[in-house]
Amino acid sequence: MNNDHHSRPDPDALLADLLRTEADARSGRLFIFLGMCPGVGKTYAMLKAARQRLLEGVDLLAGVVETHGRRETAELLEGLPVQPLRTLDHRGHELHEFDIDAVLLRKPALVLMDELAHSNVPGSRHAKRYQDVLELISSGIDVYTTLNVQHIESQVDTVRQITGVTISETVPDSILDCAHDIELIDLSVEKLLGRMSAGKVYMGERAELAAASFFKEANLTALREMALRFTAEHVDRDLEDIRRARRVSTPWRTNARLLVGVGPSPYAESLIRWTRRAAMRQGCQWLVVWVEGSRPLAREDQERLARSLNLARKLGAEIVSVTGDNVGAALLQVAQERNITQIILGKPGPRMLFQTSMADEIIGNSGDIDVCLVRPVLANSRLARSYRKPARGEDAPGRFAEYAWAVGISLGGVALGYAVFAATGYVFIGLMFLLGIIFAAMRFGRGPVLLLATLSALSWDFFFIEPYFTLHINKLQDVIMFGMFFIVAICMGHLTTRIREREQAEIRRQRQTTALLRVTQSAALSAEPDDGLREALSTINELHRADTALFVRNSNSDRSLSATPHPAGTFVPSAKEWGVINWVYDHKQPAGRFTDTLPTSQATWFPLQTSTAVMGVLGIHLDEDAGLDFGARVSVEAYALQLALVLEKEQIVQAVNRAQLHHQSERLQRTLLDSVSHELKTPLTVIQASLEGMAAAQISSPYLEELNTASRRLQRVVNNLLQMTRIESTAVRPAQEWCLLGDVIQEAVSTSAIGDALARHPLSIAIPDDLPAVRLDSHLVAQAITNIVHNAAVYTPADTPIIIGASVHPGSRSGSVATLRITISDGGRGLNPGDEERVFEKFYRAQGSPAGGTGLGLSIARGLIRAQGGDITAGPRHDGAPGAEFIITLETETMAG
Amino acid sequence: MNATPRALIIDDEVQLRRLLRLALESRGYEVHEADNGARGLSEAVFRKPDVILLDLGLPDLDGLQVLKRLREWTETPVLILSVRDQEDVKVTALESGADDYVTKPFSTAELLARLTVIQKRGKPAETPVLQAGKLTLDLSQREVLLGGEPLKLTPIEYSLLRLFMQNSGKIITQRQVLTTVWGPNAADQAQYLRVYVTHLRKKIADAAVEIRNEPGIGYRLVLLV
Repeated sequence: MNNDHHSRPDPDALLADLLRTEADARSGRLFIFLGMCPGVGKTYAMLKAARQRLLEGVDLLAGVVETHGRRETAELLEGLPVQPLRTLDHRGHELHEFDIDAVLLRKPALVLMDELAHSNVPGSRHAKRYQDVLELISSGIDVYTTLNVQHIESQVDTVRQITGVTISETVPDSILDCAHDIELIDLSVEKLLGRMSAGKVYMGERAELAAASFFKEANLTALREMALRFTAEHVDRDLEDIRRARRVSTPWRTNARLLVGVGPSPYAESLIRWTRRAAMRQGCQWLVVWVEGSRPLAREDQERLARSLNLARKLGAEIVSVTGDNVGAALLQVAQERNITQIILGKPGPRMLFQTSMADEIIGNSGDIDVCLVRPVLANSRLARSYRKPARGEDAPGRFAEYAWAVGISLGGVALGYAVFAATGYVFIGLMFLLGIIFAAMRFGRGPVLLLATLSALSWDFFFIEPYFTLHINKLQDVIMFGMFFIVAICMGHLTTRIREREQAEIRRQRQTTALLRVTQSAALSAEPDDGLREALSTINELHRADTALFVRNSNSDRSLSATPHPAGTFVPSAKEWGVINWVYDHKQPAGRFTDTLPTSQATWFPLQTSTAVMGVLGIHLDEDAGLDFGARVSVEAYALQLALVLEKEQIVQAVNRAQLHHQSERLQRTLLDSVSHELKTPLTVIQASLEGMAAAQISSPYLEELNTASRRLQRVVNNLLQMTRIESTAVRPAQEWCLLGDVIQEAVSTSAIGDALARHPLSIAIPDDLPAVRLDSHLVAQAITNIVHNAAVYTPADTPIIIGASVHPGSRSGSVATLRITISDGGRGLNPGDEERVFEKFYRAQGSPAGGTGLGLSIARGLIRAQGGDITAGPRHDGAPGAEFIITLETETMAG
Repeated sequence: MNATPRALIIDDEVQLRRLLRLALESRGYEVHEADNGARGLSEAVFRKPDVILLDLGLPDLDGLQVLKRLREWTETPVLILSVRDQEDVKVTALESGADDYVTKPFSTAELLARLTVIQKRGKPAETPVLQAGKLTLDLSQREVLLGGEPLKLTPIEYSLLRLFMQNSGKIITQRQVLTTVWGPNAADQAQYLRVYVTHLRKKIADAAVEIRNEPGIGYRLVLLV
């Protein structure tokens, strides 16, 4: 029974499988040729595979291929179409880089991109080549690429441990997850060393690899193992995914959830990588939690933290940021709220007193949750040396003055004490010093207050406690009092500063919240949407001391981005920025300064994205030396969301208004049409009825015949004119239904529809029996066919045949959408050359046509078909016989009967 | 049927009224006229007509409104005369209780034929056997004979045919077909209806009846003579 439950396929897994299949179908596929180190023959293998594909007729293009002067490789490259590199000018140097725009424009089926971990030269669109690759994939192009295992983000630590080399060019692990296939290019160490000594291995551009004797046998063996294991893990996961979806004896995944607590320390990155690896192994979700204390972080720490959190984001973690001074308690709270099964912490070193207590606290209170202490490794030893534990980030400029004030206050205290000493005694002076400390603590930072407390205690002892002018104290009572004074002073100073710091942090948060609220309110509540946007943007200006620019998409129906910035912005970007703005709009990702994409831009650009659409792009332009930290970035993203919602609302309102107006004008038109038809048709009815009455009364006269013919003709003209008006006023709304085409055609040529026009022509309907049911507005299609057949009957000599045929052609898109083609051929003289389009013009009548037509029938037919998204064309018959042929083409769903 | 059936014409066009009166009187109708909606309603009360011819474009009231007011108290067959040949107007009229419609300009012969059909509706045949052309449908046996031979139909085709034969000659809107055959929540069947009808048509091709499609409105079973 338990087994039953367990063998049920996980719906999420099925869905994920489906989504992946769907994503595979939509976007391009990524094939990675993975090797343990340079020289194993990745490029060679990639080129061989590419040649195979070329033989299969795939439209491929070599984007970047590094032959490193190897003859075999260069030979393989011969004959492949190569995309020339783009030349960039960087400070007078000519640099060459992959030309992504040219490739996107050419849109081949497959692109070869050597060296996935390569960093692009400055001035390129993306900082990294893998970002180019991602963009290629997302625009539906397959990519072959090569990668060494040491460049994988999560393997960097291990590689450094093994080889002592720090790898700076890395690719995030997430890109490997979107790989369709990873092919391991393996070579035994012995063979590789053999190839090296034969000079067949390119050592890499950086001297560090060679210098650190990267290619030692021990290293290579370790790297090879890494590559093998990494591939095995990936294969394993793929297999698992397939199994889970296909219900092949399901190894059930645990509901594990990992949480890693990080701070601004450089160890954070290593913790994040460790957790990612653990999460991958267990196949579970993982959270990275950053507890923001009340003290502001120093600039340097902020940047480091932002880097760590960005890394976590890249690796696919969910990032949670909470506030609280007690880091342990805050982490535990998150852990309990999110049902975490394991908390990962950095193993506290002997020096780190603070962390020890936190780890202990967490272990003590963790209850059911596992706690795992990990020995963090520094990715960069230089960083480790320079790193100090973050103290606090106080604004440096005011600090010297505060220390001076501290000294000043204690001196003042001494002076004042001397003045009143005789009258009050030393206890009073002690209290006076305490008062000074409290005042100071309300204004100054922790350091000056501690200095003041120490100075006060010492000067109290030195000047006012017997024996005077020594630090010696005689009476035990005074010693105790001095001790108490010192403790009280320090505690007071500490507590007051802490309260104040909390208060300031609160104010800071308050300010952000208020700003967000202001942005929301001003944007949502103001009567004029533009005013709201202006106010919202000025709030952002104030809070971040930044200039802003706003680009909004044109409207609900025209989704292109407006080329002129919104007048509410204060920053006018240069023409060069336009590329970034469009990129952000198209890719729904932030880009520009402080990001990895086009970092040389003037400003940082954020997409204004709602759940359904991208409404525009918000640009933040900061001063030259300012930075955009994690918190600021999060809040800008929050504003962007608010603005997006406001803009969306505004555009929806506009669309509704337009629709209403349209509706009104439609109603007016309809009323007009109704009264015109009434006025025209009533007399026609009278004429018709009178004629019939006369016929019934057996009155016969040649005049009566003429009258009859004229009346019918008038009726036809009036009907055509009214119908044409209706088509032009777009009052024709197709109502689709499933029907069999033969049925529709029968209806179109029935006497009730077409009258006696067909009496003089043999009609043949040639429709294949297996024609599937189609979904269309049968009424409109039948009417269009009627008009064309009527036209053919009138304009061709008697007894010439009229042939109606139909066929269904599978559409280019997948699914049941197909192209329906109905051909109506006649046996007349054919169209006059040049008339193929003109016959559909209103009131156009071909030369030599018999009298009595209005020249509206065909344009009505075309209007009816176009109302359903199809078209009618005319031309000579395809079978070569004389006569004209009209072809109706319609995209339609089909359903095999 | 009464000795002299009474017809009420509600139309504001005097010429049309005169013509209709001529045509109807020649067929033995006793004709009453009203030139606006309000008068039409009161005439309908006083004269107790057997059939009402109602123009949709009236000077005081909308024809549809007149129809609705009529339907509040009487089941007298109503034939709509209209210049509006948009399908939705016709469907609305039929679903508001009209029995049939003719679009101006109309042929008098057709108008009279329609009148005869809808007048019959007032008194449904009480026999369990329906007849149309060469078709015989036995309601009690759920059996259909075509020219004396049993005809095999699927349950849905049977229900469709029964509905058409019960309303022989009369127009039935698409929605009426759907709700009768498939039940009240059958809106999603609408797109398949045509296919079912096509299949049914093939089976009764030789029955001297035709299920005629009234584009955009519905169906009508017509006897071929």
